[in-house]
Formats: sequence, structure tokens, C-alpha cells
Amino acid sequence: MIDTATFASASYYVGGGLAIGFGAIGAALGEGYTAGLASEALSQKPESAGEVVKNMLVGQAIAESAAIFALVVAIVLLFSQPEVVTPLTAWSAIGAGLAMGLSAIGSGLGSGMPGGAACRGLVRQPGNRGRIQTTMLIGSAVAQTPAIFGMVTAFLLIFLDFSSIPAYPGWAAMLGAGLGTGLAAIGSGVGNGFTAEEAVDGITRNPEAAKDTTRLMLIGMSVGQSTTIYGFLVSLLLIFFGFAEDTSLSAAMKLLGAGLSSGFGGIGPGIGLGLVAAGAVKWVARNQETTGVLTRTMLVGMAVTESTSIYALIVSLLLIVVF
Amino acid sequence: MDELTHLPQITIELLGLNLVFNTETITMTWIVMGIMIVFGFLATRNISLVPNPFQVVGELIVGAFWGLTKDALDEEMARKYFPLICTLFLFLLIGNWLGTFPHLGEPTKDLNTPLGLGILGFVIAHYSGIRAKGFKAYAKEYFEPIFLMAPLNVIGEIAKVVSISFRLYGNIMGGAIIVLVVSHLVYSLILPPFLLAFFNLFIGTIQAFVFTMLTLVYISVQVK
Repeated sequence: MIDTATFASASYYVGGGLAIGFGAIGAALGEGYTAGLASEALSQKPESAGEVVKNMLVGQAIAESAAIFALVVAIVLLFSQPEVVTPLTAWSAIGAGLAMGLSAIGSGLGSGMPGGAACRGLVRQPGNRGRIQTTMLIGSAVAQTPAIFGMVTAFLLIFLDFSSIPAYPGWAAMLGAGLGTGLAAIGSGVGNGFTAEEAVDGITRNPEAAKDTTRLMLIGMSVGQSTTIYGFLVSLLLIFFGFAEDTSLSAAMKLLGAGLSSGFGGIGPGIGLGLVAAGAVKWVARNQETTGVLTRTMLVGMAVTESTSIYALIVSLLLIVVF
Repeated sequence: MDELTHLPQITIELLGLNLVFNTETITMTWIVMGIMIVFGFLATRNISLVPNPFQVVGELIVGAFWGLTKDALDEEMARKYFPLICTLFLFLLIGNWLGTFPHLGEPTKDLNTPLGLGILGFVIAHYSGIRAKGFKAYAKEYFEPIFLMAPLNVIGEIAKVVSISFRLYGNIMGGAIIVLVVSHLVYSLILPPFLLAFFNLFIGTIQAFVFTMLTLVYISVQVK
């Protein structure tokens, strides 16, 4: 039987481990994807090795920043352990680790995708380097947004003063807050990657359409992040709502359930939204005249795709507010 | 790390209501408005064929957004909504950049600012939808494809306000937190300026553009 103090300080180490452990998954996959496509591109045209390798390294560096966010959170968790650790701060440390680690999975993978497409594009259209690289940079950077939401949740969980919140059911709220944003961000990150990859491919094919394609990519990616934002909303509610003290298990489980609902509910729609936007961006690049109608169709399609994540959001809100 | 959670507030009691003002947000909003008015004055003071630098920047931004608005709406509608769209972008851009300077903070870091602007866009989009199509056609859209979907369509519309405001808030707030935490970790050496450049200037510009474009597209979806 371990005493509370040991359990509490262990939780900070567990949180740090979860943050960087999960956080490393996505970035590694994304960087591998970039390097794989770079190799494929070089096999077609070995003489452009310098250009492609440089681009590959830049793309990988951006994909890695999701893992670096996770590293920062892990380091903060390991070294910022407060003097007095209560069960509540212990659970919020674990929640913070989960929020950061899980959210970095999607962003790491997603922001590696445009990098790979840019390597492929540089070999096909070397004259078009500036536009391809700009789109890659914007796409990769915007694909980091889900990880940024995860990090905001993590830092709120680490640094906020929870002394006025009752430990029961507060612990479940903090764990649920971490899971809500963290899980939901996985889908958006991957979906954003699909969109950005298609945009880079499209601009390689038709540099004339760069402006329209980049604009639609930005709109598509940001609407694709809606599911993460719903998860983030639920997390903020769980952190700030202020629950009455209740030591029963059901009171805690409904808060955990709220986090899990919006979290898992966001994964599928996040990827789906990315696919909708990827389709629209792809065809705008081929036929610029259709930008207007494609933008509207994309938004309508996204509204329907998103509906399952809205069901999950409603269930979360019901669990938090009504039950 | 007190900066994270501390919001300077004044509470005024009026007619039995407690009105809470976030002083920093309000001050920063007024600073942004001041910058915009001064910029507008300098850009249009003596308009000439050989423009002064302010006029050039003004023409670039206004020209670009005129093109974007015209693409999304038709010419006549665009004339009506263009001032809103352009002002929204300039306000958000300067607001997001403001945190780069010492002692100043982004007004968009406070959820109330993005939420207010999000509700503004929502109301304008739906009002212009009713104006353009008539109330019957507007209301009918909520019962598509079958009438059972009506509650869901309404929630979907409200979710748009939530997502557009929290997207801006989360990004700007996230940037501010990262800059704060990393500066603290490295004792404010070397890294913070680069982080500020990335999160405030780059991400700030992209998010200002995205917010403006989404407001524009939501209006254009409603009126067509």
C-alpha cells in the first residue's frame, strides 16, 4: 500500500512519461512519411538531391515540433512538482500528460504529410520551388494547431490553482479534461495532414491556382479543427465549471465519460473533415473556375460530416450540466 | 505563472447587476482601434497618384480583400459587406500582433473578444440570409433533408459560432502560454523573440485571415 504523497509525486512522473511517450508516436510516423516520399522522389531524379534533402529536413523539423511541445510539457511536469501535492493536482498532472501526448499524435503525423508531398513536387516541378515550399510551411504549421490546443489544456491543468475545487469528483474532471482535448485532437491532426498534402500536390500540378488553393486549404484545415475545438470546449468546462463535492463513483464517472465522449467522438469526424477538404482542394487546383461552388459544397459536406462529433459534444454537455 | 490565470477586472454595480470589465482587454482593444484610426488617417490624408507608404499598404490590403469579397459574393453584395470584412481582418491582425510588443497583450487572448466577433458574424450572416431569401425559404433550410433534422441543424449553426471563436482564442492563448512558459524555462534567453515571431506574427496572421474568411463564407452560404 503506497501512501498519498508517494502516489502524488509518482503521478507527475507518469504524466511526463505519458506526454512524451504518446507525443513521440505521431512525429516519428510523420517524419518517416516525409523521408519515404523524399527517397521515392530522389529515385526518379537523383541529381536534385541537395534541394530535396534540404526540403525534407525542413519538413521533418516542423513535424517534430509536435514532439517538442510534448517534450516541453514533460520537462515542466518532471521539474515543476509543487511542494504540496494533493490527489487533485496528481490527477491533473496525469491529465496534462494525456492531453499533450495524445494531441501530438495527430499533429505529428499530419504535419509530416505536406513535407513528403513537397519533396515529390520539387522533383516534378523544380521551377516552382518557392510556392511549393511556402504551401508546405503554412500547411505543416497550421496542422500543429491541434497539438497547440492540447498544450493549452496541459498547461492549464498544470498551472491553475485547484485549491478551491473538491477532490471528489474533481479528479475525474481533470482526467476527463485531458482526455477530451487529447483524443479529439488525434483526428483533426491527421485530417489536416490529408488536406495540406493534397494542396501541395495541387500547387505542384497547377501553380497558377496557388492563391485559391492555399486559401481553400486554410479554410478547410481550420474547419477541420472544429472537432478538436469541441473537445477543448468540454475540457474548459470540466476545468472551470465548479462541481459540488460528491464522493460517489457515479459523479466522478460522468465527468470522465464527458471527456471520453467528446474525445473519442472527435477522432472519426476529424479525419473525415480532412478528407472532405482534401477533395475540395484537389479539384480547385485542377479547375479554378469552380472555386466558389466547391467552397460552398465543401462547407455543406463538412457540416454533415461533423454531425457525429456534435452528437458526442451534446452527450458531453448533458453529462456535465444536466446529470 | 500568475500571469496565466490573473485577469485584471473591475466590477461596477448598476441597477442591481454586477457588470464585470476586463480592464486589460478593453485597454488593448482601444489601442488597436486607435492604431487603426491613425493608420486610416495617414493612408487617406492626401491620396495621390504617387502614393505615400501608408497609402501603398492600405491599397494592398484593401485591394486584396476587395478581390476576395467579390469572389465570394456578387459585386453588389460585396459592396455592402466589404467594409465589415476588411475592418474585421485589420482589427484581428493588429490585435494578434499587439502582444509582440512589451507591456502590451493581445485583446484576442480573452475569450470575450473572439466570442463577441463570432456572434457578430453569426447574426449578420443569418440576418442577411433572411433578407436575401425571405423568411420562408430561410426557415425551410432547417428542415432539409427531413424535418427530423431541424434540432440538429440549429445546433450545427450554433456550433459554428463556438468553433470560430474558440479557434482564434485557443491559438492566440496557446501562443501566449507557450511564449510565457518557454521564456520562464530558458530565463528569457535567445528563444522568446523567435517564438513571438512564429506565434504572434505568423500564426496571428493566419488566424486573422481564417476568421475573416470563415465569416465571409458563412455570409455567402446564407445569401446564396
